[in-house]
Amino acid sequence: MELDRFFNVSQSLLRDKFVLGYSGHVSEDILQEVGNKLRERLENHACNSAQSRNVFSIFVELMQNIIRYGVDGPKIGPKFEPDFDPIPDPKGDRRDGKNPLFEDVPPFGIIMVSESDGMMSVIAGNYIATDEGETHMLADKVAMLQSKTPQDLREMYRAQLRNTPDKKSKGASLGLIEIARKSTLPIACEMTPMPDGLTFFTIKATV
Amino acid sequence: MTGLKLEATKRTPAIDLDTTRGRLVLMGESYPEDVAGFYAPLTSALNTYLENGANALATEIKLTYFNSSSARALRDLLEQLDSAAARGTAISVDWFCDPDDDITQEFAKDIAANISHANVSIQDLDAT
Repeated sequence: MELDRFFNVSQSLLRDKFVLGYSGHVSEDILQEVGNKLRERLENHACNSAQSRNVFSIFVELMQNIIRYGVDGPKIGPKFEPDFDPIPDPKGDRRDGKNPLFEDVPPFGIIMVSESDGMMSVIAGNYIATDEGETHMLADKVAMLQSKTPQDLREMYRAQLRNTPDKKSKGASLGLIEIARKSTLPIACEMTPMPDGLTFFTIKATV
Repeated sequence: MTGLKLEATKRTPAIDLDTTRGRLVLMGESYPEDVAGFYAPLTSALNTYLENGANALATEIKLTYFNSSSARALRDLLEQLDSAAARGTAISVDWFCDPDDDITQEFAKDIAANISHANVSIQDLDAT
């Protein structure tokens, strides 16, 4: 990165109090390491233990969503050679198997926690394979959660807890409801179409 | 009698199923990498205990944090206990939550909402 682009990135990051950021391939090990560091930093940054707890659990759900649904980024630059074992996938259910290009490569993601006027935001971004149906379904689901009251969210959580997770969701879609419940402001998301059959998905929660 | 004893890790709770005293304790945090794999030994040890004429089981849940996948595992655990209670085993579940943590208390109540035979009580963590 050129120094002037770096300067622009740093200025926009420093405008809000930057708590922690990670960008790169995401695995359960990374979740663990970055999560530990986040907890240390929250001791200094968070207003109270409730804020700290909610930020941490939103972080865990967002990282696990990247691990479950994310894919590697566009194939630019040298091909990624993992220097560690690819994510263990004993049941073969972490990937949808739709795009063999993405098999065995850990998903790429970026996550940032920052603070502004006593509020903390957690923003995550990752590539997903573009699939019109599923991409819309995810965006619709976030939009639907935005309009719900805490009581609505609680009822949805209860209902979802009774269901067995549907095969397509590859995990508890309780995760998104949990993020919405723990977010003080409505959660927001954006889908940006990218080359190579990819979509960049960003999601933000504020506590 | 075979029980189960697991030490806590950063991502998994300590589990102590003491079949001679009829006691089960889960304590710590729960956001395992492989939720199903982590809770499977508990499910099977409980099955062995409950299917072999256990009279009673007193359960204590003291989880300061659990993720959404663990919530499902906890629901399954309570349902397993509830069906044993329906068959006549005296089952109590004391679920301890941080009194300042409203959402986790709600989660605990929601997870326990459909339990009808076991005696579930949500309590303050500080009270112990």
